[in-house]
Amino acid sequence: MKRIIILFAALLLTVSAFAQNGKSIYQKYSDAENVSAVYVSPAMFRLIGQIPDLEVGDDNVNLTPVIRSLSGLYILNSENETVNGSLRADAERFINSGKYELLMEAKDSGEVVRMYTLGNDRTIEGFVMLAAEANEVTFICLDGQMPRKDFEALLSKEMNK
Amino acid sequence: MKTLEEIENLSLEELEQKAAEAAAPVPDGLERRLRQALAARELADAARPRPARWIPYASLAVAAAAAALVVLPQRGPKDTFDDPLLAYAEVEKAFQTISNKMSVGMDIVRDAEQTAGMPYNTLNKIQK
Repeated sequence: MKRIIILFAALLLTVSAFAQNGKSIYQKYSDAENVSAVYVSPAMFRLIGQIPDLEVGDDNVNLTPVIRSLSGLYILNSENETVNGSLRADAERFINSGKYELLMEAKDSGEVVRMYTLGNDRTIEGFVMLAAEANEVTFICLDGQMPRKDFEALLSKEMNK
Repeated sequence: MKTLEEIENLSLEELEQKAAEAAAPVPDGLERRLRQALAARELADAARPRPARWIPYASLAVAAAAAALVVLPQRGPKDTFDDPLLAYAEVEKAFQTISNKMSVGMDIVRDAEQTAGMPYNTLNKIQK
């Protein structure tokens, strides 16, 4: 029995070590052809947070509260047909393996957009957007401890721009 | 009974022949005693704790997992921007992209609301 428990624990450790996440997906596809990739690290977010005035544009949209709570941003935009299917599958596997909740899904003119959040009523610990068109797939993954109120306010302000 | 000298004079073939002819006497109860000894040995083996052969494999698995946990986070991707202002601009662009995609969904909702409100408006007009 002890043997089984130890082997099971070892297996769990191994599996969790190789589980999919935003970083592993980014690393897998960021160097592929026709894939544009952006990564902003936690250290860079700390630097951004030290910029005194982050208010941008005429509509006074303030990203500061959200920016300061972010710890990682991964963006992949693929126009590589061989990568698109695999990227989409990996992203979906990552979403399904976590406790991500579907925030919204929109299908319009062949484009499917899905947004997912991870967290609770007050805090968003992760946000994933997966947009798939015929020849293009966009994957955006945000990690952090974002106040849900600020995050939603920011998105609604941006939408009204 | 042959003397030692006679035995020494025998050829190898003759010795083998003699050995095959002479059936060695088996002591009484030897088979039973052998069986008992073997059974006792088996019992003793079963009672003795066996060296756990799985321990090296489990240790290897745990070591591999620990190494993966320690090494993988260090091999993180490189920051795309060195300048925080450029990084900030990219973050804003990302939020704009998210909002644009969300707008698509909101437009569909607005259209649906409009369509869903049509029967209600028609009924209102009829009542007036």
